[in-house]
Amino acid sequence: MVSFISFHRKGGSILLLCTCLHQTKAHWRESFIFPAFSFTNCVLLYNQVLVATITNHQSPSNLFSEFGFCCFSVHFFSDIRVCGSALISSNQGLLNWVLLVFGPFSHQKTTICPDFLNPKPWLNHLWRKSENIGHRRNSMGKEESPQVTRRTTRSSSSATVGTKTCDSHPLTIKDLVFGEDPISLNDLLSSFPGRRIQILELVRLLGASNSPMLPLFIYGGASSGKTSIVLQMFRHLNRPFVYSSCHTCYSPRILFESVLNQLLLHRKDAANGYSSAKRCERPSDFVNFLREALSNVINNFKGNSGKLGTKKLVGQADGNMVYLIFDNLELVREWDKSSTILPFLFNLYDILKMPEVGLIFVSNTSPDTYYSNMGYMEPIPVHFPDYTEDDLRQILMKNQANRKLYSSFLDVVLRSFCRITRRVDELSTAFLPLFQKYCEPLHDLGVVPNEEMKRRLFSHLQPQIAPSLNEVFKVSSQSSPAAESNKETKKKSSRRKLGVCAEIDELDFHMSTSAKYLLISAFLASRNPATLDASLFDSMGGIDSRKRKRKSSQKSLEKKENAEQEILMKGPGTFPLERLLAIFQCLTSVAEGSIDEEEHGDEGSGVQGGDGGLMSDVLLQLSSLCNANFIVKGGSCPLEGSTRYRSTVCEDMALKVARSLKFPLSKYLYRR
Amino acid sequence: MGRENTVEEALNLLRSRLCNPSFVFKPLSDSPDSNYSKLKFIISSSVTEACNNSILLLGPRGSGKIAVLELVLKDLLVEFPDLISVIKLSGLLHSDDNCAFKEISRQLCAEHQLLFSKMASFDDNSQFMIAMLRECGLAHKTIIFVLDEFDLFAQGKQRVLYSLLDAMQSVTSQAVVIGVSCRLDADQLLEKRVRSRFSHRKLLFLPPSKEDLQRLLEHILSLPVDSTISHDYAVEFNAKLQNMLADEKFKQIIITYMDSDATVNHLLRFLFRAVSYMELGSGFLSLENFKTALSNIQRQPKLECIKDCSILELHILVCMKRLEVKEQNSYNFNSVMKEYKSIRASFQISEYYAWSICLRAFEHLLQRELICFTDNRGQNQSVEFRPVKLLISSHELQQGLKSYRSCPAILFKLMDREV
Repeated sequence: MVSFISFHRKGGSILLLCTCLHQTKAHWRESFIFPAFSFTNCVLLYNQVLVATITNHQSPSNLFSEFGFCCFSVHFFSDIRVCGSALISSNQGLLNWVLLVFGPFSHQKTTICPDFLNPKPWLNHLWRKSENIGHRRNSMGKEESPQVTRRTTRSSSSATVGTKTCDSHPLTIKDLVFGEDPISLNDLLSSFPGRRIQILELVRLLGASNSPMLPLFIYGGASSGKTSIVLQMFRHLNRPFVYSSCHTCYSPRILFESVLNQLLLHRKDAANGYSSAKRCERPSDFVNFLREALSNVINNFKGNSGKLGTKKLVGQADGNMVYLIFDNLELVREWDKSSTILPFLFNLYDILKMPEVGLIFVSNTSPDTYYSNMGYMEPIPVHFPDYTEDDLRQILMKNQANRKLYSSFLDVVLRSFCRITRRVDELSTAFLPLFQKYCEPLHDLGVVPNEEMKRRLFSHLQPQIAPSLNEVFKVSSQSSPAAESNKETKKKSSRRKLGVCAEIDELDFHMSTSAKYLLISAFLASRNPATLDASLFDSMGGIDSRKRKRKSSQKSLEKKENAEQEILMKGPGTFPLERLLAIFQCLTSVAEGSIDEEEHGDEGSGVQGGDGGLMSDVLLQLSSLCNANFIVKGGSCPLEGSTRYRSTVCEDMALKVARSLKFPLSKYLYRR
Repeated sequence: MGRENTVEEALNLLRSRLCNPSFVFKPLSDSPDSNYSKLKFIISSSVTEACNNSILLLGPRGSGKIAVLELVLKDLLVEFPDLISVIKLSGLLHSDDNCAFKEISRQLCAEHQLLFSKMASFDDNSQFMIAMLRECGLAHKTIIFVLDEFDLFAQGKQRVLYSLLDAMQSVTSQAVVIGVSCRLDADQLLEKRVRSRFSHRKLLFLPPSKEDLQRLLEHILSLPVDSTISHDYAVEFNAKLQNMLADEKFKQIIITYMDSDATVNHLLRFLFRAVSYMELGSGFLSLENFKTALSNIQRQPKLECIKDCSILELHILVCMKRLEVKEQNSYNFNSVMKEYKSIRASFQISEYYAWSICLRAFEHLLQRELICFTDNRGQNQSVEFRPVKLLISSHELQQGLKSYRSCPAILFKLMDREV
């Protein structure tokens, strides 16, 4: 069970600290820090963690009593989505979450963040909702989600303790609407610049209240405002809807139950043991339950509107249509290979045969990626194109204190950044530090820049732009302004130019020395051909290899090219455990001299002993490295039968680790 | 204000018609040789003559098989209220044998006011079904089984089909099995023992002819003159509609749209969109509505995706295309990067993007599904080593580049020239 996950930034590289605590409590995993941050890995880890937390554990009360809270803290805009899903998953009623947000967000101290320069508007809504959960159920399906505290500073992170959910009133049918004051169409249009056409089209397609609707299919690239617009649209229309995202409802059963829970106004809490209203795994059961629930809800609405006549209550929904929204539909394709769920969802409208139900699918990918043998009636497509440069300008200009200044800043940077990406989330993270840099020469931030000042600011910023282009996807820290001035010429250091990365030597890897050596030896075992081990690690063989290098006939050149091609294609090689351990022994025996000199008798001196106790220790380290995805376990070799490993560490990272150990790694690397 | 309400009411009426298949298919069922009449004859004769029967309704998806069947069943339920009970199954939901029998028992119980036990086993349920068939046969009550997505029932052991059709072999039972499928070879999927018990009656549902289409459009879109909607408005609306339906341009739009798929449901989606675009101010359908609907419903997703790409992503796509032209049978991110570097070197492109940026752009492309991994093996390999392939043809890429706003000229050069 994971009790604490946080994304740290230290000295500019992004470090992921993950302490995994097993349910048995007997076995603590090491804390790891991932210096080279791979987004995919992280998301993978996150998902694993989520699945683990939700599936493994059946009695939430145990967990609460033991840990009290679970903590996620996040840096990335893109991670926010995952984090949001974590939050929604907490509706499954298992954990109390505390969300810590720092980094770029710390500049926006407002609880109600401005709509766009913000993680995800809907997520934000979600937070807000869960904060005043005592008053209203929130419409996104975290019926029992606990009170969420947001902290904006790192220092407070240690002090956060999850607070218990306050007792909430029983759900009523009114809770199916968005739950906040409806906004006008004009507000809606102005809060989403560049989305006018799409919003108007959606309004048209949804139609007046009580008018039936064929299923819609909304698609468009990431961060083009699909989910937020749909949700805000329902806020505008004030109609009942059920939102479930396939991100958080990661299996058919959870999806079905989440829809039913919302429709049946069921709230998971300690009293019902955090169970769903209905247990429902098969589509056939789901259809029966859904029909029942929907007709209940619809009759309720009809009854209400009949009774009240023209009089309208506050919070009363408009009309008696109920809309089911399925977000992130593209994930459903991977759920089951036989893929009955997808055709089922697409045919749901025809199966239900209820004109009062509107279906809306939201997807990242276009409808043509959904084709299967089965076939289905296609829903009506609505495309959300990516924002154009002008749209982006408008979006980024929103909620800026000094619009003139920001506009002149955008003149400088927007064009070149748009060549890399047009995603709002990525751009706004990239611009945040850059704008600070831009403003540095100014004393008064409220100033309206004139031509001359613009030129001055531009010349100040210009050297920063090119390197920061390569930084787009990284989150930079506000700290360490000292580092920026030095290395500016070397291409290699371009990643560090923004003053993001502090010196690598200072970087604390939070990894034991032996783990570092193990990492390096795994890297060597993956990169070097096994046949060269003897010559590399044996002092006798060194000359031999050098000799071989010299001859370069036409044929050998060709061979070399082929080999190069192969290594490009195949990636790092695999190796058996024995080879890894042998190399590890060699490396540590080489290194122990230097360790002795420094009188650092930690892990290295253990190696000297070379007994069984050490081996088990090393194996433990290995397994933790495997869990951290530094080393992956491959399939076993059919001839030998033993498991083969593969190192996933890139060369830069291995060099960094080696430097932190003062280990001459390049001497041992075989260059083709 | 009154006018606006009228228009809104009319719009609601049109929309609810479009969402109601039984309304749509009504006019197509008058003639004696329509599927409606045939189906009705077959079922009603087996009800009156107390015999067993089985039929397959075949036709492309969206051609109104279920809608016509529903119409028939509705009429028959009125005609013989006590002689029929209908059991509906769908292959999407009940292709699993266990599930199917459970659902049959559940619906039988609901129909005959019996208590349904969720705990009943597979065997119990199938026994129950056979007993019910016999009882109903003795009471001269016909059970009509509607099996939607019939082809999905033909997967696996076909136990459901077998026991249904086998039970119908006895004299005492009285049932009709109606299979509905969009696979024309649905009866070929059956096992021998099932096929021999199946009467090979098939009804084919074809797309409507041009005349039918015209009739259908008029039927769906014209407002009733004798309803709550104001009479004058309805008359005016219908007159304008008639004008438009006769318009050659309008006919052309409909023909263009129906070229890809001529089924009625396909048409309905188009009409739904066009009707949604109706101006509330003027209150009449115009040709413009249909034009916008056509342009909005006929999408070219891959082109859109290319238009959404950033310049860097386009570079990567072009590099991949060049690798494919070079007949490099398998390539991954690393080889794409090699190509990119060589292009940069040979064309002196000044802009330089770091490896990690390109990797992220590459991941974006994966997300957009313009490219994908060639195999699912090597899940634990990192992204840059897994072989990939393009999901768009070079023609599409060319097209996309042309429609891209401010696409760098160098990319066209790279596309054409083999370096």
